[in-house]
Amino acid sequence: MDFKTTKTESAIEVRIAGRMDFTDHDRLPDILSQLDGTRNRLILDMSRLDFIDSAGLGMLLIIQDEAEGQNVKLIVRGVAGDVKRSIELARLSEIITFQD
Amino acid sequence: MAVPALSLSDCRVLIVDDNEFNRKSLALVIRRAGIADIAFAENGREGLAAVERFRPDLVLLDVDMPVMNGWEMCEALRRNASHEELPVLFQTALDSDEEQVRCFEAGGSDFISKPIKPGECVARVRHQLEKRKLFGDLAAFRERVQRELSHARAMQTSLLPENRQLAEVADRYGLTLDAHFETSSELGGDFWGLYPLGDGRLGLLMVDFAGHGITAAINTFRLHTLIDRFPMQHMTPSQWLAQLNVALKDVLPTGQFATAFFGILDLATDTLTFAAAGSPNPVLGTPSAARGNGPDIRLLDSAGLVLGVSHRARYVDQSHRLPRGGFLFLYSDALIECGGEGIGPLGQDAVPGFVRDALARDRQHPLRPMMESFYARTRLPLRDDLTAVWVARRA
Repeated sequence: MDFKTTKTESAIEVRIAGRMDFTDHDRLPDILSQLDGTRNRLILDMSRLDFIDSAGLGMLLIIQDEAEGQNVKLIVRGVAGDVKRSIELARLSEIITFQD
Repeated sequence: MAVPALSLSDCRVLIVDDNEFNRKSLALVIRRAGIADIAFAENGREGLAAVERFRPDLVLLDVDMPVMNGWEMCEALRRNASHEELPVLFQTALDSDEEQVRCFEAGGSDFISKPIKPGECVARVRHQLEKRKLFGDLAAFRERVQRELSHARAMQTSLLPENRQLAEVADRYGLTLDAHFETSSELGGDFWGLYPLGDGRLGLLMVDFAGHGITAAINTFRLHTLIDRFPMQHMTPSQWLAQLNVALKDVLPTGQFATAFFGILDLATDTLTFAAAGSPNPVLGTPSAARGNGPDIRLLDSAGLVLGVSHRARYVDQSHRLPRGGFLFLYSDALIECGGEGIGPLGQDAVPGFVRDALARDRQHPLRPMMESFYARTRLPLRDDLTAVWVARRA
């Protein structure tokens, strides 16, 4: 998994690429540390993510929980293909906001 | 990580040297470093006998000796499996590169050059002894963890239906029941169960906790306790899953969750009613209307909010005909997500074809050919736990 962060006036945008699976769990603090209290929206751009497994879905839930706790709105953008399918199967849209 | 300095007082050192002056001065040096338990030998052959008798933690070995030289003694030691790890420090006056290499080729751990420099000698002896102690501690730790894991593994296996129970249920309900369960490490996060509910009804449950290994396995033990708390008799599968979800939400930390399938097969109405929480799509097979054709095979919709994430999750019941000759195939995501060298994973859409191929090879017990072709294409060890359950109604 690779990620790159950019900051706009009101949002932190994190672009995630590659695979998001159980081997990436140690990277979670790196993503969470992007929440620095200066922006109230966190956008995860997953349009370049190829694969997500159950551990990856768990990471999304943790990010959501952490963002909510800091009054930051999480928006996950651009999920497609197998990633979209996994997320739809697990019905994470009941918990997390997804946008095309 | 800093390791506290090892006390050398309980270490035993054997000095093998044909020169009395050398034996005495080496003993003096290491005695000053706190090593009191020292034995001596005058050549390689005596040295080998002393190793057996004295059981040293380290050997200080001269190279050039009568009867048997140091290299020969060291080679003999290394041929004996119980002395493979014994540190051997050569002391050598031969400072050519070739001679020093020869010390390592003979199985030496390190060497010190003569004339002996006391500081260097003690430092190298200490280094070897500390390494030996850490290695011993690590081996003991590993052995203990291994033993505990295999106990835990037996406990986990005992949560799953035994072969005897499978055979009983199969007979009572007129089913063919085959199951495969393999964890990716000693312990896993998969669980499945069969629950005879009376009146010709049978509950079927498959749960897969996110991740694998010890954390996921602890969750399967939690689950097992919860299942006993919620009777299945007078509830629809969706109601039962909703109850389980709330209980899991209360105990699971954020980020941990489970996918699940819970179905009730009713023989009286030939109906399978189920609710799902994001499990991989189960495969339903029904006998074809046209004679001579294979069964109609399709994937069932199993989308649903995974268990343990939200108190508010709601589940939906679906009913499908499952008459005699029909089947249900349940599996965890390892089946479709694990690939091999140069082969991608099977993927969800390929599963009906995968089942059809296996039925062509063994109509009664297709799980066996399914597992054969899965393992033929998959890199081991598995990246995730695999559970697969075949439930067919006898024709």
